[in-house]
Amino acid sequence: MTGERTAALALRGLVKRFESKVAVAGVDLDVPAGSFYGLLGPNGAGKTTTLSMAVGLLRPDAGGAWVLGHDVWSDPVRAKQLLGVMPDGTRLFDRLSGAELLAYTGLLRGMAADVVDQRARELLDVLALADAGRTLVVDYSAGMKKKSGLACALLHGPRLLVLDEPFEAVDPVSGALIRDILQRYVTGGGTVVFSSHVMEVVERLCSHVAILAAGAIKTVGTLDEVRGGRPLEEVFVEVVGGRTATGQELSWL
Amino acid sequence: MAVTAPVADPAVAAFRPPSARHFARLKLRVLRNGFRGQGWRVTLFVLGCLFGLWFAAMGFFAFAAPSLAGDADRDVAVLVLALGGGALVLGWLLLPLVFFGVDETLDPARFALLPLPRRTLLAGLLAAGFIGIPAVATGLATAGSVVTAATFGGAGAALVQAIGVAGGLLLCVAASRAITSGFATMLRSRRMRDLAAIMLAVLAALLGPLQIGVIVALNNADLDQLVRVARVVEWTPFGAPYTAGLDVAEGRPLAAAAKLLGTAAVIAALLWWWSRSVESAMLGTASAGTARPARAPAGGPMAQLFPRALRWLRPGQHGAIAAREARYWWRDARRRASLITLAVVGVFVPLMFNVGVAGLLGDESSQAATSPTQVTISMLFVGSLAALSLANQFGYDGSAYAAHVVVGVPGRVELRARVLGFSMYMVPLLAGIAVLVAIVLGRFDWLPVMWGGLAAAYGTGLAVNLFVSILAAYALPDTANPFAISTGAGMAKSLLSFVALFASLAAAAVYAIVSFLVPEGLWLWLALPVGLAYGVGATVLGCYLAGDVLDRRGPELLATVSSKR
Repeated sequence: MTGERTAALALRGLVKRFESKVAVAGVDLDVPAGSFYGLLGPNGAGKTTTLSMAVGLLRPDAGGAWVLGHDVWSDPVRAKQLLGVMPDGTRLFDRLSGAELLAYTGLLRGMAADVVDQRARELLDVLALADAGRTLVVDYSAGMKKKSGLACALLHGPRLLVLDEPFEAVDPVSGALIRDILQRYVTGGGTVVFSSHVMEVVERLCSHVAILAAGAIKTVGTLDEVRGGRPLEEVFVEVVGGRTATGQELSWL
Repeated sequence: MAVTAPVADPAVAAFRPPSARHFARLKLRVLRNGFRGQGWRVTLFVLGCLFGLWFAAMGFFAFAAPSLAGDADRDVAVLVLALGGGALVLGWLLLPLVFFGVDETLDPARFALLPLPRRTLLAGLLAAGFIGIPAVATGLATAGSVVTAATFGGAGAALVQAIGVAGGLLLCVAASRAITSGFATMLRSRRMRDLAAIMLAVLAALLGPLQIGVIVALNNADLDQLVRVARVVEWTPFGAPYTAGLDVAEGRPLAAAAKLLGTAAVIAALLWWWSRSVESAMLGTASAGTARPARAPAGGPMAQLFPRALRWLRPGQHGAIAAREARYWWRDARRRASLITLAVVGVFVPLMFNVGVAGLLGDESSQAATSPTQVTISMLFVGSLAALSLANQFGYDGSAYAAHVVVGVPGRVELRARVLGFSMYMVPLLAGIAVLVAIVLGRFDWLPVMWGGLAAAYGTGLAVNLFVSILAAYALPDTANPFAISTGAGMAKSLLSFVALFASLAAAAVYAIVSFLVPEGLWLWLALPVGLAYGVGATVLGCYLAGDVLDRRGPELLATVSSKR
């Protein structure tokens, strides 16, 4: 992409149709380098579809994605080297133990064996996964699986981290740990894009926010611009067009 | 300790368990929704229906045929009904386990949270099990025996036979459910799974002797002997439901009653077994998280990924994928099931083909019949079959394959590593099979020919199946049952594996043709180098060409193997 400062992630006119349903209807987004970017949206808004197209997991029907200026779909090798991804809803290679999984991911990334060994050990320690020993990832709890996925995404030291629902099904302790690591990563010059529908986490972490609904970006800007002095949740419900309870329905409960 | 008395809630009191009809309707609905907007699925379904109808019609006439023979020959009736019916029951018992998998459109685990009495759930799942082409075709085919019974014994015999046919169908469906569910439970539990694997192998091995029996029977064509066999089979659960009507016709109502009661008892026992394993399948989803006590890991992450047996692999993309594949072929129950099946079939087919039935039964005179060409052909078949396990290799990974797409692993590296990981099991196994056959035949000088044939067929088979695995991958259902395959798409695409088998056999046939052209003495020396060169060449070329396809289609492949739809 051209521009004075290359965006860490740039999306242009992304469109995806599934049979007759339009999941993503033309998404444009610029994620500045060094930002902590929250992609908000209700269930089914197209968050996962958008992020999958942005990282090269799902081929868009139209539009493109650039990671630090490298086209994800025409120059995938370079773009994917700069990118760490934690998809939601895809399995890990879960019949490996946590340590095996990290060693495997590191080698897939083309890293040297001794670097993989050292970083994997460190990540396992920091994420409190070292105690699991030889337990297979398939037997991990949901929170441990999320942490393993994060470790896989971080292992090669990417410049851009794309995380789909990193705080879903994670207990408060693990959640705090993940938040801490991500904040340190951004302070160190990295860029994080993550999707969520937990307002509280987004408000606490993000520098920038985009609200996605029905496959299109509704609002975008820095956190303060989007909030405009109101609680984020209020803005979100208003933008998305939620339904307000009248107090009459569900009287049998 | 006093627990508060149960709450008397009007909603709980008014609870009525749903009827079995409900489950049947649910399954029909699921099937119908599967067709929505998928023209080719409808086409495949119609083809399946036509095939089922053809089978049903053939079966119907076969079962009705004894009535044409007239009153004189009741032995023929016993023969057809007992052996035909028995073969069907046996097929229902073994085929889902070994070849086709069982349709788990309604996965019991999905009902775990609903307040359903076990009896209701079981009746419902059983009713749903009747909805499907195989069950309908079996029912129609065996209905032909009612005509036979009516010809011999009139209305009374026909009525009893109809009850028997219905019972037989129930037996078939219950048996296939119970046995797959039971094995799935065993393969899930870490303690039992190795035992279960061995039992599975033995069951698969039953197919071999069964073939021997059938071929012996056909070879000897001794009607009396066959009738004697049939007279035994009619008193086993395999033949009992289908011969009750004949007993009435022959004036033995007590025998008929005993057969029907026996069938009912067997069905009850199967249902009981099934209910036990269904319960554990339902609990399985909730309690799969119990971890083993963690042992202290030996060495760092690298040392764990490459244990001593795999130390020779060079750490890198290729080595890592090969190491993981090697691990997965054993750790993943589905893959292991396919390995074991292959091992058993791979031993039996060449023995059957070369030593022959009579030879295995100790008839020396027929032993000399085999030739290097014949041995070669059987080896070509085994080699092609071995490579077939890779036909849905990406389907086994499912959405975990996303990890490779995210990294952008080069297609050629990916395929070479996968071939290597699989060959770590297959090459020793195939070599061993050849040695075993050589020992049985007592012809060690044929070993190079056999190895050459195996290498040629395995290599070309790999090349063919690499393409199949990329272009015709399908998602495996995400259930704990290694035998489950989803209806519609999965079933149809698994038929594609037959096409792949024929294609690789055709490619390997070149080797057989060459073996004809070269004089036999010379061929014994040339076979191994030629076969190896042909097989390795085909595999290398396959990895090279299919790797390009994979590079282009990575995201599309990921979408097909992720089991969202």
